[in-house]
Amino acid sequence: MRTPLRFALLGFVLGTALAAVPALADPVTIRIGYPGVGADNRPFASGDIVAVAHAGHFVEDEFAHDPDVKIEWTFFRGAGPALNESLAAGHLDFAAGLGDLPSIVGRANGLKTRFILTDKVRDTIYLAVRPNSGINRVEDLAGHRLSEFKGTNLQLAADKVLAAHGLSERNARFINLDTGSALAALNAGEIDGTFGSIELLGLRDRGIVELPYNTKADATSFGRHSATFVTEAFEQAHPELVQRVVDAFVKAARFGADEAHRAAVFDLWAKAGYPPEAFAEDFDHERLANRLSPLIDDYVVARYRDQAAHVRQYGLIRKDIDVDGWFEPKYLEAALKAQNLENFWPKYDAEGHKVTIGDVEQTRSAAR
Amino acid sequence: MNAPARPILLGLLVPVLLIGLWQAIAAAHLVAPYILPSPAAVLARFGDELDGGTFGSDVWASLTRALVGFAIGAPAGIGFGLLLGLSRLAGRLFGPLFLAYRQVALFAWVPLLSMWFGGGEAGKLAFIAMAAFAPATVNTWRGAAAVPAPYRELSRALTLGRLDHLRLVALPSALPGVLTGLRSALIHAWLATVGAELFLDIAPGLGGRLNEGRDKFEVDLMIVALTVLATLGLGFSQLAAAAERRSIRWRRR
Amino acid sequence: MSRLTTALAAPALLFALWWLSAAQGWLPEQLLPAPAAVWDALAETAASGDLQADILISLQRVGAGFALGALGGLAFGGAIGLSRTLRQLFDPLFLLLAQVPPLAWIPLVILAVGIDEAMKVTVIAWASFVPVVLGVAQGIRDVPAPLRELGRALTFSPWDLVSRIVFPAAVPAIFTGLREGLANAWQTLVAAELFASSEGLGYLISLGRQLFQLDLVLAMVLVLGIVGLSVNSALALVERRLLRWQAQAA
Repeated sequence: MRTPLRFALLGFVLGTALAAVPALADPVTIRIGYPGVGADNRPFASGDIVAVAHAGHFVEDEFAHDPDVKIEWTFFRGAGPALNESLAAGHLDFAAGLGDLPSIVGRANGLKTRFILTDKVRDTIYLAVRPNSGINRVEDLAGHRLSEFKGTNLQLAADKVLAAHGLSERNARFINLDTGSALAALNAGEIDGTFGSIELLGLRDRGIVELPYNTKADATSFGRHSATFVTEAFEQAHPELVQRVVDAFVKAARFGADEAHRAAVFDLWAKAGYPPEAFAEDFDHERLANRLSPLIDDYVVARYRDQAAHVRQYGLIRKDIDVDGWFEPKYLEAALKAQNLENFWPKYDAEGHKVTIGDVEQTRSAAR
Repeated sequence: MNAPARPILLGLLVPVLLIGLWQAIAAAHLVAPYILPSPAAVLARFGDELDGGTFGSDVWASLTRALVGFAIGAPAGIGFGLLLGLSRLAGRLFGPLFLAYRQVALFAWVPLLSMWFGGGEAGKLAFIAMAAFAPATVNTWRGAAAVPAPYRELSRALTLGRLDHLRLVALPSALPGVLTGLRSALIHAWLATVGAELFLDIAPGLGGRLNEGRDKFEVDLMIVALTVLATLGLGFSQLAAAAERRSIRWRRR
Repeated sequence: MSRLTTALAAPALLFALWWLSAAQGWLPEQLLPAPAAVWDALAETAASGDLQADILISLQRVGAGFALGALGGLAFGGAIGLSRTLRQLFDPLFLLLAQVPPLAWIPLVILAVGIDEAMKVTVIAWASFVPVVLGVAQGIRDVPAPLRELGRALTFSPWDLVSRIVFPAAVPAIFTGLREGLANAWQTLVAAELFASSEGLGYLISLGRQLFQLDLVLAMVLVLGIVGLSVNSALALVERRLLRWQAQAA
């Protein structure tokens, strides 16, 4: 009975080999969500590291030689709150560029994520009002109707600005509208003011709005922050993929923070439907690296602790959250080391003072 | 004028007058064109959308969403309605809960559904299915509970078993209720589709176009979307009513 | 078992399941908050006075919109129900416009009257108008021909014909239309408040959604249910009274 035995052995070996092949080639889809859409609701981002990564295909390039890994981007018109819903429903693995308020709110309500790198800091916001409305300062908004995109980092930044200038629910009415609706409402005279960012610059140029105030001129602590998170579930299942995604984002950050690439970065962001000149004006007298830094340094940690306290104070969450246990810098540190970027970005302390100088500050814009 | 033509002509009179008035207002520039575009501009926009764009696939997307949501919610509602109507105990146990549930406006469930299912297709379909569920249940319940007494007497006289009674007497007499339930559910599913598209994540669909018109301040697009909505809705209700009439006629035979 | 006990059995079981699942953690807390959390959210909004203020505002909007829509619907429905010419003139346009869900009109209405009370009352009025018109028209059609003959034989004046014969016979269908109009009004109120508002029950729900506070959302859903139930019961009471009075008068 040698022949049947040989066949049986062959069958066993083949069977095992065939069974192993699918296990080796288990296809994975990396689902990345971004809390925002471009002009006309197009699926593009702008103004941060994630936008550079998406428009420049950095993540796709990282996995170009892995046929079993697919990258899937989703852009949420409903911004942070809508992205949080997708996270809760288990439809996302990465929340890229999620703003401080929605990420804090999500954590306070039990969403299990890990803060793996920063996306942008000190982002400027502008106040938009109708032309000739007589509103020249934030204080002039008292008694008027404002729109607030509740639950987004824009709301938090706006709340801080308004509070600092003496405004609250008691002397102004806040209506919950998303970005597109807010602009339409401002245009039609349904509201008197709204906060926003570069999408407002083009409207100002067309004479549709005036921008009497922005946080760059006021205090940078009023700016917005956003970061990139991975779900604990995905991290436990595919830690090596997390590392490679972080590698890709760090490469994108390296590209985006370099002044020599200034024009190229603005062109990448222009895919979101806004003219490069808008970004140039938004970053006037400001280095790209001032906002585009992936570091989780003392400044970022202090900012998030601070925001969490504010969020609690404004009654937007009902219990304190543990911010320190949230950060997971190991992927970032590994990526920086591997790409020789450990000293590329300046590090800041909790008060925002520069502690170490970064190599990126040596880069110069070609236009100068 | 002859009798058959009169209703048609009268029916067209008011719409034609209104459109004429609309055209006059637009031509006289009484209102800014970006607030009220002329009928001609709206028609032109309609033509553009059909040519250029994704309008066909938007309509198709909305229609399929409505039908799939209907296919999920309506059978569930019919099953539940039959249970409530055919079993007195079930009716008394679950009826009040169902009636209480009906008190809550459907849109109040949107945040819940988007948190449980996300704002994508799953969330929209869940919403549409919920919208179809209630009318299907209510009408089926009413029909199933209304087995006429003479029929029941007959069952008892013929000493029909429980199952036979259901099969030969109760279910057939509940059928009109079921059909009305299906018709109502279909209409509600279509109405809910627009709501789902307006309140949940952007995706191809008529609601999305309506939103787009609002965001970009393009009233002509809004009017086009609304007109298509109205026409499709009319089509739906006529279709559903015709289907119901057909099946009743078939049943009589 | 008494009627009340059977009615409460299923809700009680549901509540027990809910409480158990939250206590055992069968579902993550952001998908199903514990009953205690929902209660807290309710208590908080009530304590700050926000709940009462928002309920009042929502009730005012529904009240104003429904009153407008129902009265208009009674008038218009009566007109097209009683006059064939009017029906032939206005029916097609009305039926076409009625196909559009009230919610879809909101963007256009906002352009016309803004995002404030006027917008909400307008859409709510329209949403109530449609079913009332249909109910009245149906009710008038329901009047048995013999009754109408009788009225004519007795040489009733048109006013008498309507008030003594047509209207009483149409009451059931009219009330069906009113009930549906009220239900529509609530639906549209919540939708309008979700769309753009700074107060109201719908606003609280959308705030809960934006801030990921499912317990607040659930609390408001419960409040909506209770408020809706109360208002509907009030309408049902009016209907029963009217029918009883009508039966007595007959």
